[in-house]
Amino acid sequence: MASNKVYWKSFDQLANTEVSQRLAENEFAQDIPADVFLADERSLEAQTSRRDFLKFLGFSTAAATLAACEQPIIESVPYVVQPDSLTPGVPSFYATAYTDGQDYASVLVKTREGRPIKVEPGDAGRFNRGTNARAQASVLSLYDSARLRGPILNGKDSDWASVEASLKKAADAALAQGSQFVLVTSSVFSPSLQAAIERLRQGYANFQHVEFDAVSQSNTLDVWEALTGVRALPSIDLNTAQLVVSFGSDFLSGSTAQQLSSDYAARRKPGTGMLRHVELESNLSLTGSNADKRVKIKPSEVSGALAFLVNELGGSAAKIALRDDLTKALKSVAGELKSANGKAVVLVGGDDTNVSKLAAALNALVGAFGTTLRADKPVYLRRGSEARVANLIADLNAKRVGALVVAGTNPVYFRPDFEKAIKSAKFSLSVTDRMDETAVLCSAAAPLPHYLEAWADFRPVAGEYTVAQPTIKNLFNSKSLLEVLGGLSGDPRSAKDQVAAVAGSLGLNWNQTVHDGGAAVTSGSAAGAPAGAAAALAASAKVSKPVNGMELALYENAVGAGYQANNPWLHELPDPVTRLTWDNYLTIAAADALAMGFENETNSDGSLDGSYATLKVGKRVLENVPVFIQPGQTAGTVGLAYGYGRTSAGKVADELGVNAYALGAATGYATVEISKAEGTHEFATVQLGHTMMGRRIVNEVSLADFIADPKGTNWNEKPTFHTIDGHKTSEEANLWANHDHETMHMWNMSIDLNSCTGCGACVVACHIENNVPVVGKQEIRNLRDMHWLRIDRYYSSDMSKERAEEERIGGIEMYAKMEEPSESPSVVFQPVMCQHCNHAPCETVCPVGATVHSREGLNHMAYNRCIGTRYCANNCPYKVRRFNWFNYMANEQFADVNPSQDDYGRMVLNPDVTVRSRGVMEKCTMCIQRVQYAKLEAKKAGQPLADGGFTVACAEACDTGAITFGDVNNAKSAVRAAKADARAYHLLEEVGTQPSVFYLTKVRNA
Amino acid sequence: MPEAVLLYFCGAFKSTSSPLSMRMRLSPYASLFRRTFLTFLSVSVLSISASAEVSAEAGKKLFKANCASCHKLDKKLVGPALGDVTQRRSEEWLLKWIRNNAEFRASGDKDANAIFEEYGGSVMQAFPALTDDDIKSILAYTAEGDKKAAPAPGDAATAPAAAPAESASSPWLMYVLGGFLLINLVLLLRVRNTLKQLNGENPTSLLEDLDIVTKILVANKRFMTFLTVVLALSFLYATYAYLMSVGVEQNYQPVQPIAFSHKIHAGDNGVDCNYCHSSARHSKHSGIPSANVCMNCHMYIDGSEIVDAAGNPKYGGERSPEIQKIYAAIGWDPEARTYIEGYEQKPIQWVRIHNLPDLAYFNHAQHVTAGQVECQTCHGPVQEMEEVYQFSELTMGWCINCHRETEIKGDNGYYAGSIDGSASISDRLVERFHNEKITAASIGGLECGKCHY
Repeated sequence: MASNKVYWKSFDQLANTEVSQRLAENEFAQDIPADVFLADERSLEAQTSRRDFLKFLGFSTAAATLAACEQPIIESVPYVVQPDSLTPGVPSFYATAYTDGQDYASVLVKTREGRPIKVEPGDAGRFNRGTNARAQASVLSLYDSARLRGPILNGKDSDWASVEASLKKAADAALAQGSQFVLVTSSVFSPSLQAAIERLRQGYANFQHVEFDAVSQSNTLDVWEALTGVRALPSIDLNTAQLVVSFGSDFLSGSTAQQLSSDYAARRKPGTGMLRHVELESNLSLTGSNADKRVKIKPSEVSGALAFLVNELGGSAAKIALRDDLTKALKSVAGELKSANGKAVVLVGGDDTNVSKLAAALNALVGAFGTTLRADKPVYLRRGSEARVANLIADLNAKRVGALVVAGTNPVYFRPDFEKAIKSAKFSLSVTDRMDETAVLCSAAAPLPHYLEAWADFRPVAGEYTVAQPTIKNLFNSKSLLEVLGGLSGDPRSAKDQVAAVAGSLGLNWNQTVHDGGAAVTSGSAAGAPAGAAAALAASAKVSKPVNGMELALYENAVGAGYQANNPWLHELPDPVTRLTWDNYLTIAAADALAMGFENETNSDGSLDGSYATLKVGKRVLENVPVFIQPGQTAGTVGLAYGYGRTSAGKVADELGVNAYALGAATGYATVEISKAEGTHEFATVQLGHTMMGRRIVNEVSLADFIADPKGTNWNEKPTFHTIDGHKTSEEANLWANHDHETMHMWNMSIDLNSCTGCGACVVACHIENNVPVVGKQEIRNLRDMHWLRIDRYYSSDMSKERAEEERIGGIEMYAKMEEPSESPSVVFQPVMCQHCNHAPCETVCPVGATVHSREGLNHMAYNRCIGTRYCANNCPYKVRRFNWFNYMANEQFADVNPSQDDYGRMVLNPDVTVRSRGVMEKCTMCIQRVQYAKLEAKKAGQPLADGGFTVACAEACDTGAITFGDVNNAKSAVRAAKADARAYHLLEEVGTQPSVFYLTKVRNA
Repeated sequence: MPEAVLLYFCGAFKSTSSPLSMRMRLSPYASLFRRTFLTFLSVSVLSISASAEVSAEAGKKLFKANCASCHKLDKKLVGPALGDVTQRRSEEWLLKWIRNNAEFRASGDKDANAIFEEYGGSVMQAFPALTDDDIKSILAYTAEGDKKAAPAPGDAATAPAAAPAESASSPWLMYVLGGFLLINLVLLLRVRNTLKQLNGENPTSLLEDLDIVTKILVANKRFMTFLTVVLALSFLYATYAYLMSVGVEQNYQPVQPIAFSHKIHAGDNGVDCNYCHSSARHSKHSGIPSANVCMNCHMYIDGSEIVDAAGNPKYGGERSPEIQKIYAAIGWDPEARTYIEGYEQKPIQWVRIHNLPDLAYFNHAQHVTAGQVECQTCHGPVQEMEEVYQFSELTMGWCINCHRETEIKGDNGYYAGSIDGSASISDRLVERFHNEKITAASIGGLECGKCHY
């Protein structure tokens, strides 16, 4: 019975140390911060006599009394001419497309009084519709006060005319002198920008356009370009897939994660034909955490493993000796691939030419071409070429570049060789959103509009054209790249006109296209690739021998490539697997850590400390990298996240973490020398607090058991109590009077643990929707995070009661082994927010009635009644209540992290939700502002409230549809159907709290 | 005379609806109906008045109904000033022009085309329904002007509408009674003194009398205890009342940047509240109208035509300085009658009167559209306020009280409709509350989270 697995949250809990026991007993790991001012010696030595004290007291009382006599005058300033489309207090929604240099997504932007305040998924059916954590958080990047405000020329504030004139002069001079004029961008998949670049090329014979991606796919693109003739990656279609085999591709958080997550979850509905996922990887990634079967592999073994599979499936590739256990695992994978012929797909991570060739060949052999792997429907999001970057660096160093324009990217940060090279350009201009590492080295810098401020268009995938419209006027003196390039090539049209011309040339109705955010078009398809040619690639691929030393695998967490590194929401979001915040660190296997002397130590206050390491890749050295011991990490490998270690991004990102790009591992993998360094690093984790101990928290069942027992009699038993009248469930054995939940609505939420991938988009969405404060690293280290919604991650052990019985293992040894990590632990994610108990323990202990029940099944929290006793949080079995220890909006301790402390960041606040002050408790309200709004809209329209017409912020942000919210009194609602599902159970049902939130059992296709 | 009858009826209809509070309580549909009905009546007046004689009085009505939006007697508006038009043009010419000027111009009349050009080719509508007598009446009115024209019966009916009735209860009565009691007390003491004198005792002065009374009272422990308790309770009550009034801004009446009178707009002219505060129906905010909404009317009404009760121009025939503030905000040139190109508009900085604390969520649409609560229920008789003040206390107790008392609009489709074929919310509410009133409180209107989130 899989549900008897024991989950544990950390090594400390596993070892059941004194610290973790104490933490489990205490809701608040830290006492009241009296030590903060007691530690200040000056305040203790200060001499204040009793008379002085009384004088101060008297004066402040009198002053406060006088100040209270006068009410401030509040002005109310209406528009002079109010726009027709705007009603103050009513949100407007605009379809647009989100891009930040790395990501692309089709989104819908909510604006209030002309301010974008929330990014929601775009129309159903659009490519990569949906919002990951970065897309959700991107609205705050708009209001980043570190953005560049106006053009800068030679270090002095300037204007656009001068900067453009200087650029034109430099470009013309370069043309005359025969030196180069180079434009550096990230991948360009905008038809209008491509057209503008083409016009520039016409005017300047010396013009070069260099595209590169921060996390490169250059080699993979080369392989596919040779196959299809189009520089683009094939799209992956999981809709018909039965089996996905991934070699560290982390496809659930990659560039098309929204699309893939949604298809993945849809294909993993429990039942016969459920998609099976086998992951072979070195780091324990988000994607690997979701796999049905996970095999640990070193990056250098991947080509050998792929070659083995190619040979097993009838192809021909070089043979190489592999570990026995790996060979065994690969044989079983090969068997599965054979039986899933035509319905399987193999995905690979990193950017190795040989691996890409072997993967293409393997996909050809399993019949993926044209079915699960669509080379005829290429994705244009990645087009970069590292060869051209290398050429450019050589040209720069040889002083062959007369004019350099860097637009919307940051080569000095992404490619360490640029730092020296860029200084050799005669004239360099960085069109950028901030004075980043590149801009500070350029002769000129000019602000680029945020994606929410500018017109743009995109062709993300064959067959789709999307238009991005601005949702706010430019906050700063920025100019679209279309207009900057247009100015050079003598094209006076505005960005909007350029986009409209492209849309017109595609035969699209402009207004309709803008309204819908895009349209299906016929252009841009590729012929597709012949499977035969792909299969033949295997022979030409070089299969490398596994490396003996330590190997580094770079990965992306929520911060991604680092374009939005100055966005505090992304740092506050815990990494789904490590549960650490505000950091990047070296993940290492426990055995390797022991061998090298690295330690992770939990202090008495529950905070985590770690050793430092020095990394050496070739000649490049990265110092002071914190080390974190990660279960599931392949021995002999370490992982490190991109996107940190910025030096010129803004007060949030600067000096945070280390820069993984500095190691120059272009393929994402490298052989690394690791040595221990001095010092102790302070981690900020949300992991050790709020433990739920070893009870049945996540219910899990294998697919076979699920199919054999669809009613869940054996795997989803309700806990019962012995009573004088026999066994009773917690609902029947009830001490309390029931609330009236039948008359009006009864809001319930279903969370499908089978669909949740743990990505964290919901956590960021919740932050934005509910004005949840950002508290920063130190407060999270103090276990005072403010997340209303957290995603618990549990590792499992392979030991179970059944196995103990079989192997005749005794009780003590069994429990000891249950706490032992398996070689490769299976992982589950469980989003937990306020469960809105109908018999809520918090309500009964509040001395002031600040938290009370509603007849719609919600647990209300009246902030202004709260006096901060924190009894409710102590009495909450789910540990979901959060206390405002500080006034995060004004306390200068949080000035660097809390966006609401400056006038720009404050614009992102949701005007319908109160900003809480110090000393009050807060928690998930089930987005009551949305519930109330939807009810009012229904009343205004005179219609009954329809199911699916609205939902809560977390459910809306979820690409996989794991969260369903609705009225169970509506017999036709989706949530009512979910509640009747055999998989449904309540968290800690035995406590008898009768929550309004319920979970659907996870089914593992093992 | 049919016209007179109709006018009388028209006036009568207006006067029946003239008590302003009543007028404001009409729903938007009712007021729409009333307007349509009046328009219909006035059209009927026009069509039936064919047989009427020529009179400046009738002409004034016709002028107001048909001409006033583009013409004034004494100055240019969209079209020329018409005060002396009868001297400039022949009656025959004018009849042709007014009846159908486009046809007249097409016939090639030089003067007609010249005047058309002079006014920038703005097209004047044709008035085929006007009879010759109607037009002559109008012309008679233009020749006579306003002073000689007697007010029309309809206008007379509406003008003195707002006669505020003073409340009968007055503190003066209490003062007078108190005074009487005091005099009686003094008289009694004097009488007692006289009686003492008659008895041969020593007479005492009034002060001595008081001294004696005080001494008796101070010696009386019961009285002193009673007095102490009364004083303590009064003090406590006064403190409580004072503390409860902290932050309550009832009757707050700040000075506004423009002396805008709701009495003139909503009261005298019966402009619907929702015309200017249009977002109250859709949004949480009632919305302060933007200056372009003011301009819908004030493009034509600049104050020079406003007359006081005596019929004298209020601003001496000049533009109202208050209305000119709107022009200054939006950049309207009243001479050229155009918006000034490139004008830097200056928003009007009104002072907010009703200030709810941020912790309370209030939605106008919820009350105005869903609850169909009249604006006056919370805002008081705004149509009688020269300067708006905060009518209600806007405290939580005040909100809650109304939620306890106000019945929901159960016929709204939200309550009455069924989404899944089972019982509607209305049915379920009736089942639960039987014959009780179903108020906002019954559906959860007292729960904290409904207003505080």
